Amino acid sequence: MNETSDKRLALMIDLERCIGCKSCEAACKSEHGLGPGEYRNRVTWLGDPDGGAFDFLTVTCQHCERPACLRACPVNPKAIEKDPETGVVRVIESRCTGCGECVVACPYGAMGFDAVDHHSVKCDLCHDRRQNDQKPACATVCPGSAISFGERTEHVAYAERENRTIRDHDHFLLEPATIYLDALPRENRINDLRPVDKANARRPKFMDNPAAQATLREKKAEYPYRTSRAEREVDSVRPGGCNICFNCCSTNFHFKGDKLVRVTGNEEDPLLKGKVCPKSQMTVQMYNNDERLMHPLKRVGARGEGKFERISWDQALDEIAEKLKSVRDEVGSEALAMFIGTRTGIITKSGYVRMFAQMYGTPNVESTDAFCATSKAIAYQLTHGTIGAGNSYTETDLGAAELYVYIGDNQAETRPVYFGMINDWRIKNGAKMVAIDPRLTPTASKADRWFGIRPGTDMALALALAYSILERNLHDEAFCEEWIVGWEIWRDYILDNAYTPEWAAPITDISAEDIRWLAEQIATADGCVMFGSRGINQHTNSTQTNRVLMYVCAITGNWGRKGGTYLNMSAGPPVGPNVPESRMAPISRPKIRKSPSGWTEAMRSGSPYPIKAMIACNNPFSQWPDQNAIREAFESLELLVHIELFANATSAFADYVLPAAAGIEKGEIGRANDDRRIVWIDRMIDPPGDAKPDAWIWVELGKRLGFDDVLQEKYKDTALFWDEVCIKGNPHLQGITQKRLHSRPYRWVRFPVASEDAPEIETLYLEGTTAVGQPEGKRFATPSGKLEFYTEAIETKFNALGMSSLPEFYSEREQRIDLPYVELQHDDSEAGVPNPFHGNNTSGSMGRLVRAGNNTPGQQLRAKGFELELVTGRASAAHFHSWTHYFWQAQEMWPDMYCQLHPNRAAEIGVEDGQKVRVSTAHGSVEAVVWITNGIREHSVFLPIGWDERQPYHPWKSVNYLTDKMQREPMSDQTNLKMLLCKVEKIGS
Amino acid sequence: MNKQSPSDTDAAFSSRAVLGNATLRWLGIGTAAFITAYFLLLFPLLPAPWRTAGSPELYLTGVAGACLLLVAMVFSAIKRGGGGDLAPKFYVAHVLCAYAGTILVAVHGAGNLGRPPAMMYLAILGLVLLGMYARLHVSRRMERTFAEKHASYAVTMSEPKRERLRELIQKKKTLLAELDPKANEGTFSLQPKHWRACPLRSLRYAKLVREEQEVMGTRRMVPFAQAYWWMAHRALAHLFVLGIVIHVITVTFFAGYVADYDFSKITWWHIAKW
Repeated sequence: MNETSDKRLALMIDLERCIGCKSCEAACKSEHGLGPGEYRNRVTWLGDPDGGAFDFLTVTCQHCERPACLRACPVNPKAIEKDPETGVVRVIESRCTGCGECVVACPYGAMGFDAVDHHSVKCDLCHDRRQNDQKPACATVCPGSAISFGERTEHVAYAERENRTIRDHDHFLLEPATIYLDALPRENRINDLRPVDKANARRPKFMDNPAAQATLREKKAEYPYRTSRAEREVDSVRPGGCNICFNCCSTNFHFKGDKLVRVTGNEEDPLLKGKVCPKSQMTVQMYNNDERLMHPLKRVGARGEGKFERISWDQALDEIAEKLKSVRDEVGSEALAMFIGTRTGIITKSGYVRMFAQMYGTPNVESTDAFCATSKAIAYQLTHGTIGAGNSYTETDLGAAELYVYIGDNQAETRPVYFGMINDWRIKNGAKMVAIDPRLTPTASKADRWFGIRPGTDMALALALAYSILERNLHDEAFCEEWIVGWEIWRDYILDNAYTPEWAAPITDISAEDIRWLAEQIATADGCVMFGSRGINQHTNSTQTNRVLMYVCAITGNWGRKGGTYLNMSAGPPVGPNVPESRMAPISRPKIRKSPSGWTEAMRSGSPYPIKAMIACNNPFSQWPDQNAIREAFESLELLVHIELFANATSAFADYVLPAAAGIEKGEIGRANDDRRIVWIDRMIDPPGDAKPDAWIWVELGKRLGFDDVLQEKYKDTALFWDEVCIKGNPHLQGITQKRLHSRPYRWVRFPVASEDAPEIETLYLEGTTAVGQPEGKRFATPSGKLEFYTEAIETKFNALGMSSLPEFYSEREQRIDLPYVELQHDDSEAGVPNPFHGNNTSGSMGRLVRAGNNTPGQQLRAKGFELELVTGRASAAHFHSWTHYFWQAQEMWPDMYCQLHPNRAAEIGVEDGQKVRVSTAHGSVEAVVWITNGIREHSVFLPIGWDERQPYHPWKSVNYLTDKMQREPMSDQTNLKMLLCKVEKIGS
Repeated sequence: MNKQSPSDTDAAFSSRAVLGNATLRWLGIGTAAFITAYFLLLFPLLPAPWRTAGSPELYLTGVAGACLLLVAMVFSAIKRGGGGDLAPKFYVAHVLCAYAGTILVAVHGAGNLGRPPAMMYLAILGLVLLGMYARLHVSRRMERTFAEKHASYAVTMSEPKRERLRELIQKKKTLLAELDPKANEGTFSLQPKHWRACPLRSLRYAKLVREEQEVMGTRRMVPFAQAYWWMAHRALAHLFVLGIVIHVITVTFFAGYVADYDFSKITWWHIAKW
């Protein structure tokens, strides 16, 4: 006999949609002000560890019909109540004495406990929000739309309608209300690691390490966590955007007076509908953070010692300006290098700094693109004339595809909201998904098939796909003939070189049969969207791999259509204002290299010419490859200025540390993203202490160097700078005015729009359309107006660097099998040759392809015991490079630097889950804790980026101690960060 | 000490008395330091009545200490007897009184550790240490229990276990119809009024509850200390109360025995003729 009415409320959690991003955890802690260790919901891993899996399950109160917790409560009247109408079970904290019997009694582990104030806590389906007709917080943010809230009977009806299996987990006859929809069954999955019975669920051991978690409790969680509801009662909400990652979510900022209380998704956004990942929500922990840099600092100790004195802004800027003048006068203006990370925002990087550099006269300005995305930018530029795909995250465009292929792109963790949308469309439309990645990532866990490819061999797979399509005449002949220049030359080259599936199989570790299967799927799908990302870009064959994948999409007609494209992650808006010709300082020497890691010889030895000063707005000491070389080089600088939010490993080496502002402290646009959306973020609060917005810093520094006629005082206001400088006369952006941005309750407009009233374009490059800024009728922005794969101009560019534009296969020099690789012909201390892919004012190195032979670098390393494949990459949805490592909750979710290792390797090394290991390459070594998982190639090892040795909670040496700055691609100058031979050793007993 | 809880909802649900970890720690340290200092430094300097067990001064000190220590019983009675809204306040009172009572009882004993009543010191020590251990250590363990009972989400099920649970629930329902006809088995637990009204039925019901818990195995899902600290604390408390009762009976009715039949030593109130 049930006590509760039919109106029983419940969450329904769809395991097919959950990507384990932990956004629900962030929302819950934010809503209820929970501190470290306190949970009302928590994501756990689901699956058989022996079978290997990467599925997730969110643990939350089951709101049982027969709640064991309630019956165990010894208090009378009970400290736990069940609402007879809704069935919601809630703790009445004012009665709870903290005996913990309910925690013991709940068989689902869904009773939380506040170990500070000693009482139970639990999910009450956001009682307060429900009083205001709002859904529970977790159900509003979920990027994967995995959590829905409503009456249980409606959930059951939905499951029946959609033919979904409701998980039967009522082993205790408690009649739980919470519904879990089981993941969909997979067929024909290669390396089928999906567990059969899902009998086990667990998190990697390092996540729960009590010592790591205790670290979080040593510091007080900053406002608004662990404050009463009254203290964080919101009185105003302002729309804006998240400035952290490349998903660029529209967000709402909630204030109590002038104090930021909370960041949520913006439910008025018709596209994202309030979905945000945990990072956006945790930016509260960036704005209210005791670790923030508050005052300008000047070094008084030795480099790296971390001894500084507090100085005024005037003193700091005066001294820096004087030093910059003396460097310019004595060594030349090119001796100043500037590394402007994406942390600073597009307006700073491509606006203020660009103009500052033009007036100062240095070409040595670079952002993180050189490590992440230059190769795909080159490939896009060559192929269709602009950077980035032309499609949108709408139901009728990307949502209309029949097949999604992820190759080297773990979108579920890098752009979780976008992935959530794709995954939702996949499920609704019955589309297929294939993932190609050395790891079973959360993205791959949703795919119908996962191929654990050998790192660095995606080009071989792409060539074999093209071969298979062409061999069987599966290509779109009409599209090829009409819209692709040079497609036959590539076809003949690929066929003549016999890049067959049989050839690719031993290289990629994917069978010929499966390659053929995938080729057929791509060619026959009515719309295939192929996603690529850093897994493609961070290799020495990246430009060509991108081009071959583009070729596969193009010859199958998946270009310039809805539901079909090659989408290699984000494309930044083309912001690039120039100073007047008369104010351009003369530059007599070319940029030393495209990649900042190519600048180190110039710092260390002064060759090809000296770099004496560096302004870094990021964390080179974590991010740049080959940390040993980087640190040695930075020792030689006469001036290192570090502009940052938090003190990090780079700060300790700096002569001056300038405290910067971010997001709503300064006013900016969000980052480059997949969807061409420009999200405007208003300045809403003041930066902490004496910290200043980047715009203020560059205008003030410019003033001291006489640049104030151009970088005028009024341009400290970024909104004005945007309207008057960034978009004026830019055919892609000039319609995206402040007025238009502010007319939207969600503050974004999709570019290109040529005027304020011009409509946004859902899909670019459709047949019959003209590319922006091109003569009428030119569909693509290339010289021919068509997609270009082989032209004389393209070939000439490649030849200038000793390479061919034809897709000749090569991989990395460090491999477990011997494959051809590229070798740079010029050392970084040499002048090199002009690199035509970067406007002829950038030096580069010639390249030379080396065929496999005897005594290759790989053979030598393997002989020394470096036998495993090291892959580095982004950690999780909760982390983004360094800055989330200052957010206590991101550290609670993912505390220590981990090393994913296959069980067979772990057994061989003799390590258990959670133990410490040393990972070494020929270039250096780091330590990490082991996460044993079947979801990785048997001989691969994965280490995440982002940690550095000076972070407040869990400091670890950066993974870039393991990488090699000289393994770079000639065209893009991108470094191989994803295939190095390594060894793993157990540390201690 | 009344604190607005950060995590909960409307004010009525969230304001409760709190004794923080730091306060608890300092109370423990303070009590231990006081007792140590009292016996090492102060005790030798005190007048004889304050050094003689059974003196009127120490007799009254003992009575006061015992009363304070028995506030825990009041706390328990209020918590279970319908005063749930006051429970956290009485929780705090029981801790504060326990520390104060410990000091008074220590003073009352005048350093006599060789006699049977000294056994009660062990009980007090056990109670205080267990209480502190629970608050300072087991609390963290309770916190970490969240989302740790993974196996409960597995699809695989044990049908015999469900069948056994089904039987037990049915038995509980049948019994409950007699014990408290208006109650719903799913949300019911025994209260003092049930024990008073129907002790035997209550006992049978309690046995079924224990059996159900055993079949569910929830106590086995958590570490031993977490599963049993509260039971141990309560068991020790019962032993302590029993000890007090025995002590009071002995000193009151068997004063001669307590004084080793040296009647000149009997300075406390007692009943000699009964």
